[in-house]
Amino acid sequence: MARTGALKKKGESGAAKNYITRNQAIKKLQCTLGDFRRLCILKGIYPREPRNRKKANKGSSAPASFYYSKDIQYLLHEPVLGKLREHKAFAKKLSKAIGRGEWGLAKNLEETKPVYRIDHIIKERYPTFTDSLRDLDDALSLIVLFASLPATTSIPASIITNCARLAAQWQLYVMRTKSLRKVFLSIKGIYFQAEVQGQTVTWLVPYMFTQNIPSDLDFRIMLTFLELYQTLLGFVFFKLYTDINLVYPPKLDDILDENGAGIGALLLEESGKGLVVVRDETEEDKEKKRVYAKDVRKQIREIGLGDNDAAEKAAVAEDEAMGVAPTATADDAALELDVFPVDTEAGALQPESVLSSTSLFSSYFFYLSREVTRPTLEFVIRSFGGQVGWDAVLGAGSPFDENDARITHHIVDRPVVPGAAPRQHPGKRAYVQPQWVVDCINRKTLLPTDDYAPGRTLPPHLSPFVDEDEVRERGGYVPLEAKRIMDVDMAEQEDDEDSDEDDDEDEEEDDEEEEEVDEDKKMAKNVRPTVGLGKKGKKAAPALLAAAKDPKNESLLHAAELEAEARDETKKAKKAAAEGKDKGPKKISRSQEEQLASIMLTGKQKKLYNKMTYSSDRKKEETAKLEKRRKDIAKQKAKSLPNAGL
Amino acid sequence: MAPKGSSKAPKASTSKALPPKPSTVAPKRKRRSQEEEDAQNAFAAADSLGLGPEALAFGSDGEDEDDGEILDEDDEDDAVEEPFPELDFGESEDGSFDGEDGDDDDDSEDESLGEVDPDEEAALLAEIEAEDAEEDDGSDLDELIRRHTTKPDEGETPGTSWEEDPTLPNDYMKRSRTVTSKITGQEKTEWDQEIDAGYGSDSSTEETTNRIGNVPAYFYDDLPHIGYDIDGKKVMRPATGDELDKFLEGIEDADGGWTTVKDKLHQQNVALTEEELDLIHRLAKGENPDAAYDPYTPTIEYFSSKVLPTPLVGRPEPKSRFLPSKWEHKKVMKIVRAIRTGRIVPRRPGASSSSAEKPPFYGLWSQSDVASAPHPMHMPAPKLALPSHNESYNPPEEYLWTKDEKDEFNEREKEDKKGQVIPIKHSSLRQVAAYPEFVQERFERCLDLYLAPRMLRRRPKLDIKDPSELIPKLPSPQDLRPFPTTASVEYPHPNGVRTRCVSIDPTGMWVVTGAEDGEVRLWECAVGRCAMKWKCGDGPIYGVEWCPDKERSLFAVASSSKVHIIAPLPLLSEIDAARTSQFALAGFTSASTDDAGNAKKHTQPAEVAWRKPKGDAEREEGRLVEIDVPGTLKQIVWHKRGDYFSTVSAPAGNRSVLIHQLTKHQTQAPFTKQKGEVQRVSFHPSRPHFFVATQRQIRMYDLLKQELVKTLNPGLKWISSLDVHPLGDNLIVGSYDRRLVWHDLDLSSTPYKTLRYHSRALRQVAFSPVYPLFLSTSDDGSIHIFHSTVYSDLLTNPLIVPLKVLKGHEIKDSLGVLDAKWHPREPWVVSVGADGMGRLWCT
Repeated sequence: MARTGALKKKGESGAAKNYITRNQAIKKLQCTLGDFRRLCILKGIYPREPRNRKKANKGSSAPASFYYSKDIQYLLHEPVLGKLREHKAFAKKLSKAIGRGEWGLAKNLEETKPVYRIDHIIKERYPTFTDSLRDLDDALSLIVLFASLPATTSIPASIITNCARLAAQWQLYVMRTKSLRKVFLSIKGIYFQAEVQGQTVTWLVPYMFTQNIPSDLDFRIMLTFLELYQTLLGFVFFKLYTDINLVYPPKLDDILDENGAGIGALLLEESGKGLVVVRDETEEDKEKKRVYAKDVRKQIREIGLGDNDAAEKAAVAEDEAMGVAPTATADDAALELDVFPVDTEAGALQPESVLSSTSLFSSYFFYLSREVTRPTLEFVIRSFGGQVGWDAVLGAGSPFDENDARITHHIVDRPVVPGAAPRQHPGKRAYVQPQWVVDCINRKTLLPTDDYAPGRTLPPHLSPFVDEDEVRERGGYVPLEAKRIMDVDMAEQEDDEDSDEDDDEDEEEDDEEEEEVDEDKKMAKNVRPTVGLGKKGKKAAPALLAAAKDPKNESLLHAAELEAEARDETKKAKKAAAEGKDKGPKKISRSQEEQLASIMLTGKQKKLYNKMTYSSDRKKEETAKLEKRRKDIAKQKAKSLPNAGL
Repeated sequence: MAPKGSSKAPKASTSKALPPKPSTVAPKRKRRSQEEEDAQNAFAAADSLGLGPEALAFGSDGEDEDDGEILDEDDEDDAVEEPFPELDFGESEDGSFDGEDGDDDDDSEDESLGEVDPDEEAALLAEIEAEDAEEDDGSDLDELIRRHTTKPDEGETPGTSWEEDPTLPNDYMKRSRTVTSKITGQEKTEWDQEIDAGYGSDSSTEETTNRIGNVPAYFYDDLPHIGYDIDGKKVMRPATGDELDKFLEGIEDADGGWTTVKDKLHQQNVALTEEELDLIHRLAKGENPDAAYDPYTPTIEYFSSKVLPTPLVGRPEPKSRFLPSKWEHKKVMKIVRAIRTGRIVPRRPGASSSSAEKPPFYGLWSQSDVASAPHPMHMPAPKLALPSHNESYNPPEEYLWTKDEKDEFNEREKEDKKGQVIPIKHSSLRQVAAYPEFVQERFERCLDLYLAPRMLRRRPKLDIKDPSELIPKLPSPQDLRPFPTTASVEYPHPNGVRTRCVSIDPTGMWVVTGAEDGEVRLWECAVGRCAMKWKCGDGPIYGVEWCPDKERSLFAVASSSKVHIIAPLPLLSEIDAARTSQFALAGFTSASTDDAGNAKKHTQPAEVAWRKPKGDAEREEGRLVEIDVPGTLKQIVWHKRGDYFSTVSAPAGNRSVLIHQLTKHQTQAPFTKQKGEVQRVSFHPSRPHFFVATQRQIRMYDLLKQELVKTLNPGLKWISSLDVHPLGDNLIVGSYDRRLVWHDLDLSSTPYKTLRYHSRALRQVAFSPVYPLFLSTSDDGSIHIFHSTVYSDLLTNPLIVPLKVLKGHEIKDSLGVLDAKWHPREPWVVSVGADGMGRLWCT
């Protein structure tokens, strides 16, 4: 039965009611387009794409951008909107006063200028702290970019300074809490990924060059974003700093800052103690501590607990890196506990594996020679517990100089002059290129330094953000180097488990199908001399592999059988070969069946199916292309090598 | 009373005679000379011009008394005006006497006067020299100005206090004198003449002698007079000298005559006075016209910061000055109240605005924060994609692009690059250059964040890695065997003539095909041998159909507009042949049709005729009956029993669908009205229902009740073929728009399933009579075989499984497989195509 009385009118419900065009919104808010944009940016209001544009636009198909009506409705009560209106009136008054030459009035007006704050907006947009952490990527990237821009007429110097300070504060926090996880040197810049309170924060830092600023850039938009981000980061940092019991904002040592100390110019201060924590230990402090550590180690050795040495060392180094002088009395600690019931120790909540990886460099001393970009590497190394010294050219505040005997890694990024005598430095140190540091971090292990020596052709630098397992699952291309890493990891796991060997071997065989045997061996040697060759499966059954590849080749099959017999694996080999046989025709038939069955799809499903098959085909194509290219390159290299030898 | 005159001419001559002198001296001297003249009464008529004392002096030729009075005044003036040395414009109150003596117009006297003047002048000069330095030449002029600028009454009072010179008599400024009355003996004020005269101060009251007004002077050119005076007397034209006079005048005049001006009204020359000349000089030089004006006099500050010992104004201070303002009080109180109630927060001087007093950053979040509930309209911005290996500064070599790829990428539009970058391999970190698009990319991200529309995804994104997961789970074709898979027997037609139709006899032994050359060929099904052939006209044969009755081996052929009933009699056994021919020919005897084929029954449509073939040879060949029908035949379909058959012919109006009865040789036209062009018809396999497919619709009629049962809307644009499931509850429809539609007759009038898998038009659809299979043929040259299980259970939907695509027919002239039929017993298919080939498809 039809409802009587309530006739449904057009344009009074649904999309027509839910959406409002931009012009309507501006009219409703009675503000200018510029103010509306500013509000949208600050409040995080964005246009929507209605499912039916025509319905949303009350039958008109004219191009329009739609906003959610309630967003605009809420904007009506926004205090910032009121302030913007006040500011408009103020600007009028001021210009009038100036035009009349009433300087006193103008001064008074200027003093009572309406200023808006956006803290309530921050709280509204990010009701919980975690929400704000989730949205930190863009904020950090933009702040870091502006920190590296020159001040112009459109960008005031004060903003640049503030951005630089915020960037430094963030780095300081990440270093202190050791929350940096991944670093990627891309051609766009350097990607960093940190894990803060369970949220991953990724930001991009440009290389230290003058930025190319396009002429058609609307800086008003960028500056509005910047305004929001500066406030957001201020509040977030306040929370982060106070959570680890530090005073925010950290004080700035002007002299050091002027001398280009970078992050070192910020002075951390623990709250409640009034104690200025040393930004980096002074030389004497360190000496004392080192002596202390050495003594401890000596004692331990004397006692005969050499096994614990490394752990102890790491712990000590960690202490040092934390930079907190252990001077707090018991009372203070109690007070602290009262104030902060949560344990503020950085790594307290982190699992052991993470802890071990974050203190990767804790026992090492790095020296940056003058051609190396200091800010990046200093940040990275210190985030992983290393001690960094640098050339005086790179700024003031280096804790040790080039000839310090403690230096374990000397980071060099200059070409090797053939015939030139190597520079003599006291002590034993490894000379590495900067990529070594980053690769070590991404792999969470210390890699052999030989491949990264100055003048050597570096191994490819892979993105740590790619999940190779998933890529492989989806049929994407996994570069050889990544495969090696994966295999090494897997082998490690197996070593740990030492069980279900047979099943694992099966998997491995599948994985290694495409790999050439010699490569396999080389890899095992190169990457992890301690691990690779531990397994007999790894030692490879070339004939078996070949047979799996080419199941119709009788001789290969035979050879594989022999091989397998030797290992008591006959059954398995046969199975593998049989599977290989089955696979070929089966695949084809399945595809035909699929094609036939696809007749029964509805139009919508068919579209989706076609789209998916298209994209998967493209992916396969891409994978095949890369695969082929890799083989070609390998072939070329193989050709050129003997030539070079001759 | 003051006699008034406006005699400029006489004065002019005098002034001419005057030698130029310092202006300061001149008035004085003139006055003196005037005095003398007065004394002498030398001149009868003198025009006082009101311009200068000389007018009085020399030009006043009024009556004696007047002159005397004037003289008196002048004396006084001299005395009075000495203390105003700064004003030296040589005029005085004498203006008031101007123009008094209007009646004097003696030109001759003027002339003489002019001549006399110089002498007198010289005499006077001496006198003046003798007289002293009390040179207040401008004094009378001052007086004049003052008189003109102030009211006569006020003139005396103001400013006297501060400029009074004690040396002067009290009344030196006064126009009045205090005299002792001769009559009363008391003092009385006696006013100056010119004041009480009434006219004196106003030059507008000056009267000229000539009263003609503003009329052109040439009106009087021929007359002896030049106008009339106030009394109406003629003013006679002054004597003008002849040329000699003029010449003499020019000689006599020291200035060469340029100081004279012509007075048109009086037709006289007026000489400019010394002062007038001086004035003109000053104006020409741009100086102040007043020679005595001193621009550098010290200013007198009446109102200054210096407090005067006595008030400037004698008024007492008003009371309001001592009372507080009520309105100010109100305003102040308003602010005070606002401050008290807290509406206004007063700011300390020098402090910045109140809002900044809040600390810039503080603990915004706490433990008690509650996350906002998820809302469908909340769409957080997607994060930027993380970089892959190809963005590395040192990627694996296989990621590097070839030159072609780079060129292709560079040629792309900016939008198509999608943030991709060309991979570059650097051998060391120091070689990495700045990324030029860095700022731009950040900016675009900002734009995206607030400008890019975000869309709601209703369903979560399907987490399907393999597209095959989308495919419905159907039973494998292997499990649904048997179905035709391979082509076995071929029925090749000569010359590859396009074959339109095919049919298999109910025993499954014979296949009959109809080709476009008008030949019907009979093939042995299992062998492929062409056993017989019949020529049925020249047009293409669109339909061949075996009679479904196994007892009678005959088939109907639709050739252009004739239906042939043919039986392969030579191939049949004698019993069969006899039975068949008897069956077919029984109608001729039972029905009262003659050999000519004229139908007797009135029910039969007029255009339809049943007749026997003429020749015996034809009969022996097996042709049994011929039926003429209107239009061109398109289809023949038999009823299951094998007695009735229906034909469809194209342009035949309501006769396009006919139902023929073979036993009785009767034809009916079931529809009196044609609704759309009929494409196909079909009998229901079990019920007395009849399906008629027009271009877009399918109608189901009940033949017994003669009514429309149902109309189906398959949603097709042009139906090409139709078949009913052997159980009778389902229907498949093929269309030229590449779709196959399955209708469940128990359900709605809309299709149960619409499938689109052929790439070209469908030509034929058919259900297998014994197996759960159906086929569709198409112009794309393929035959699709489907499995179709129809369940007796009403709740279960029919199961349709695609089984096989049979390909083998060639496409010719964009026509593919034109017809296909199922074998009556086996899961076999016989198909014919445009390539002139018939094929048997077996399992």
